[in-house]
Amino acid sequence: MDLRYSDEDIAFRARAREWLKDNVPQERRPASGKAASQFDRDWQGKLFENGWAGVAWPKEYGGLGLSGLQQVIWYEELSRAHAPAQHISTAYVAQMHAGPTVMARGTEEQRAFHLPRILSGKSLWCQGFSEPNAGSDLAALKTKGTVDGDTIIVNGAKMWTTDAAHADFMELLIRTDPDSQRHKGLTWLICDMTTPGIDIKPIRTMLQDDHVNMVFFDDVRIPLANVVGEVGGGWSTALATLSFERGLGFIADQLELFERVGRAIELAGTVRLDDGRLAIEHDDIAQRLASIKADTMAIRAMTLAEITETDRTGEPGPKGSMMKLMVTTTHKALSQLVGEFLGWGFMEFDGDRATNPWTHDYLWSWVFSIAGGTNEIQREITADRVLELPKAR
Amino acid sequence: MFLAPEGDEAEIADAAAAFLSDALPIERLHAPDCADMDASLRALLGEMGWFALALPEARGGSGLTAVEHALFFREVGRQCGPIDILAQALAANLCSSAERREALVAGAKGVAMLVADGDCWRLLGSHEAELGLLVTPEDASLYSLADAACEDRAALDPANSLRVVSALPDPLESREGEQLWQLGQLGAAAMLVGIGEAALDLIVDYAKVRETFGRPIGAYQAVRHACADMAIRTEAARAQLWYASTALKESRGDASAHIDAAKHLANEAAMGSADANIQLHGGIGVTDEHDAHLLLKHALLLTRIFGSKRGLLSRLLHARLED
Ligand SMILES: Cc1cc2nc3c(=O)[nH]c(=O)nc-3n(C[C@H](O)[C@H](O)[C@H](O)COP(=O)(O)OP(=O)(O)OC[C@H]3O[C@@H](n4cnc5c(N)ncnc54)[C@H](O)[C@@H]3O)c2cc1C
Repeated sequence: MDLRYSDEDIAFRARAREWLKDNVPQERRPASGKAASQFDRDWQGKLFENGWAGVAWPKEYGGLGLSGLQQVIWYEELSRAHAPAQHISTAYVAQMHAGPTVMARGTEEQRAFHLPRILSGKSLWCQGFSEPNAGSDLAALKTKGTVDGDTIIVNGAKMWTTDAAHADFMELLIRTDPDSQRHKGLTWLICDMTTPGIDIKPIRTMLQDDHVNMVFFDDVRIPLANVVGEVGGGWSTALATLSFERGLGFIADQLELFERVGRAIELAGTVRLDDGRLAIEHDDIAQRLASIKADTMAIRAMTLAEITETDRTGEPGPKGSMMKLMVTTTHKALSQLVGEFLGWGFMEFDGDRATNPWTHDYLWSWVFSIAGGTNEIQREITADRVLELPKAR
Repeated sequence: MFLAPEGDEAEIADAAAAFLSDALPIERLHAPDCADMDASLRALLGEMGWFALALPEARGGSGLTAVEHALFFREVGRQCGPIDILAQALAANLCSSAERREALVAGAKGVAMLVADGDCWRLLGSHEAELGLLVTPEDASLYSLADAACEDRAALDPANSLRVVSALPDPLESREGEQLWQLGQLGAAAMLVGIGEAALDLIVDYAKVRETFGRPIGAYQAVRHACADMAIRTEAARAQLWYASTALKESRGDASAHIDAAKHLANEAAMGSADANIQLHGGIGVTDEHDAHLLLKHALLLTRIFGSKRGLLSRLLHARLED
């Protein structure tokens, strides 16, 4: 075992820190609407132009071709520099799982077209997996696709599609074999969001935003050439997407949490409670903060262990679900605690993370523990794949 | 950067696991007079060189590091090995007298662990031990127990006897600094991780075979999800233990913070797993013949030495960390 960074790692960190110092946007990210997605496109475009996009993506697809460890270093420097947060970015799906899925399972044409657009922020993606009656039980999905010559005609509805209104493309998972059951007969499609017949209806959430949507498909014609993987083999492609989402998808947040706990400790040293003492002077608060800090240290150790292992083997292990659980529960514990000592300021919220990041993080803790597979489902996956317990389902 | 046992490290861990499951199986704790490390076990461990893992070669040690030390004590923990083993290894590191050091490394002379308790000390370890080791974050001292006033107490944990010492002579030797404390923390944290792993293994195996209402209990989510939580807390404690022991090996400036975090996470993971393991076994889990209570009781003892919750967390709160 060793914790040493190579000379290249150290030089990479120094370069990243130096560049971010002068280039992190000074203006606030708009909370919502087209202005927000334009901000995200611009930031991704700036990263691309300056040679920072796709740190661990292979060079042949426009990435920097660096190691997973350097990717970790990059995320650490981003959160230290207060760069725009990854988890609320409309570029998230494209960067974290659509791009990697197209890279792993797409055709040469699909890669050549999409990957450069994703890296440069020209195209944003959304994920059309969940439906009103297919969330945890994704394989119950019903959105129908009928092959007609060289197109697939799609009818049905997707639900919870984050940022559908801003996305240029969707990861669309549908049932192309009407007689099929469960995991068979599904197809993973690249759906151009400008195709006629798509209707997007926002769903207002408890975060006072309209980021998630229902997306209706009425005779939407998608070229067969947009199938990623095989017609009828969509479940396998979807599992690849989910493994990117649950594996790498949270790395930025994992590492940001480590920074955020430091900010919470600073904050507790400035806030006075009703008894006139600083929050940090209360033993229970100090203890809980330190305990959360220990958890974020372990999360960082787990991340480094997993990434450096993957750098060697080329394949992520089965521990992504454990990681997601650890991150989402720690995130919740931290934002709950800050909510307890922050006083009335915590109750002021206009929906903008920039004005009140702590309240936003607190509300976000349910998004974290539900989206991308609920915590209960992550426990199921851990019980099945890591512990190999008898199946519950 | 790499954070899992590899190459020689993995070989040493495997060798330790094989040796200890034979020389020190947890089942021994169901027989009478099973506490502590007796002279014959001590000689056996000494012969194999297990007390000299983290001792520099120049001083008769194996020249290995805090990492191998942690890997070994994790296996000791899995078998609920007595704390004297840790006391012996730490004392060998402390000794400046070559003669005494050789006797300790060889297991010819025994060491028990002293822990301050108000005006007195608690003594954990064999009555055959001639020496007592007291380690604090500031210094470490070795005492002769020949004339110490010791009183036996009934021990909750069958793995270690428990005595009260009301007066100690002047130490035979002392050393300032936190080095022994850190090795002790890592050793205790590693034993706790081993206990957490052992508890998880027990319940996962049982959940596959015990049936109620016509299904294995491992198919019920109340059981599965509790097991998943145990697995996650154990994984977190293990990852931090690897990080911390490597940080000490490499003399990083933030090693002590990482070690404090490792001990805290190990305390919590072991206690959580030992507790859930008993609960999820049902009635059999509270019986004397089962290993479940052995893991709990030894974990309780280990959480009390080399840093418990309050002290660890107050040191950790403002600790600065490096990249
Ligand atoms: C803010 C937000 C954004 C999202 N973004 C997207 C997106 O962009 N694209 C997309 O495709 N989806 C998205 N989702 C959907 C998300 O993946 C689902 O909400 C999630 O998988 C849960 O499905 P569900 O809502 O249907 O809940 P259900 O599956 O109905 O679950 C209800 C409750 O039952 C529990 N439960 C269900 N099955 C089991 C079981 N077998 N064992 C134990 N407990 C169980 C769940 O944990 C949950 O607590 C988003 C969700 C949210 C909240």
